[in-house]
Amino acid sequence: MLRKLLISFWLLSLPCLAWADSQWVLKRSTVTYHVSHPLHQFDGVSHAAKGKGICSDGECNFLIAVPVKSFDSGDSNRDLHMLQVTRGAEFPLVTVRTRLPESAATSATITLDLEVQFAGHTFEYKQVPFERSVQGSDARITGTIPAKLTDFKIDPPTLLTMPIKNEIPVRVDLNWGPYDRTMSFPKSWGSRSRRGNPGDGNEAL
Amino acid sequence: MVLNIARARRTCFAGLAGALLIAMLAPLLMAQAELTGTVTDPAGTAVAFAFVTTTNVETGGALPAATGMDGIYRFTLPSGNYRIKFESRGYETQEIPEAVVSESSRLIENCVLEAVAQTQGNTTADPAQKTAPNPSNKPQEPSLEDLGISPSQAKGNAREQALLDRRSHMLKVHQRLGLITIAPLGATLITSAFAGGRETSRASRDAHAALGTATVGMYFTTAYFAIRAPKIPGTRTRGPIRLHKTLAWIHGPGMVLTPILGEMAFAQKNRGERVHGIASAHGPVAIVTAGAFGLAVASVSFKF
Repeated sequence: MLRKLLISFWLLSLPCLAWADSQWVLKRSTVTYHVSHPLHQFDGVSHAAKGKGICSDGECNFLIAVPVKSFDSGDSNRDLHMLQVTRGAEFPLVTVRTRLPESAATSATITLDLEVQFAGHTFEYKQVPFERSVQGSDARITGTIPAKLTDFKIDPPTLLTMPIKNEIPVRVDLNWGPYDRTMSFPKSWGSRSRRGNPGDGNEAL
Repeated sequence: MVLNIARARRTCFAGLAGALLIAMLAPLLMAQAELTGTVTDPAGTAVAFAFVTTTNVETGGALPAATGMDGIYRFTLPSGNYRIKFESRGYETQEIPEAVVSESSRLIENCVLEAVAQTQGNTTADPAQKTAPNPSNKPQEPSLEDLGISPSQAKGNAREQALLDRRSHMLKVHQRLGLITIAPLGATLITSAFAGGRETSRASRDAHAALGTATVGMYFTTAYFAIRAPKIPGTRTRGPIRLHKTLAWIHGPGMVLTPILGEMAFAQKNRGERVHGIASAHGPVAIVTAGAFGLAVASVSFKF
């Protein structure tokens, strides 16, 4: 009797679940910025992005936030210097907002308009192409945002009086999964990513 | 001549130290006042994470902050005349053109933000939204709170930014002075060939000593800016900068030892003696010191 009741309840609850707005959560991420300088090149990597997507009325709205401090270029001094020039203490988050029609979310290639808030400025990137692949119930989105320092009014940092290139392409690799209401975001932002905090020292890139 | 250079350097250091002391004490001597307030929507609901920027009308210096979950923002500012800007996604930007913050007082400036109707990107705006902008549509878009980001994590820290700015500025000076130091260091090494052999003149030794003194002066001025640059709490040194710092343990003592040994060698030569005893280590110590210094510069300049 109890089993029948449970099955009936489960069957009745299915339509309610289907009607509910679908939500997506960022499960794993790698965000990498690339810097070119006449003397060398380097990448800064963060795995600390948090993101969520809410789909309703045929449209999905996504928000991704990455702490500026979480980027690791392999040199603590360089990371602190990047933090300074990007006003990372004043504006601790890089946020990206985007929206796409729910129907477009199944395409292998999607183009998105991105609204990026960084260093106290907002810049909109139009029609940025991304690749989408499906891994089980998860969706993997990869692509490169053609970011420039001037988009956010950042003065290019210099090494030996030579400035870095204005272009700082940001490669994103995001793994999205269906949002489970019981899940919570990892509380990893209290500490910095991977190899600890950037250290102090001489200015360098 | 060496004495004159040493005196000039002392005077220069005293002037520099005095200027730095004044620069460091100046902010402390300025009176501070509090500027606070609450940012709400027309319904009286607190607007969290709103950006509030104060700009000093006289100096143009801007200071940003964000409201907490309760919609409250807070600044500690030197007295003056400020322009306050309130910004939040989904609301019209508001500005208070003039707010006078007086010495040791508390000024309250509340702000009511009107919702904005427009939508961004290529999406078309809903006419209903235009006529009746409603922030209650916002839950359709994820917020920072949805991501589990607390207001303290989203809030900027102007003090930490100021610390980073000061640190970067001092290290830039350190870097430039370090590069300039290479010139007298190289010249000192070149002139050493004419100062230490059998057939040397007093003039060659004087030139070598003067260049060496200039190098040491430049070196310690360079070091001062690295040592005095603010440390960022809770940081751990990693990457090529570790080698740069480790090498300081070689070229630092070397820059102390080299002129002492040089002075001894200089005196022996002037007495017509052959350089002997511990003074004969002047050359090798100088070469190791210069090598360590060059490697320290290269360690942060090139990717190995």
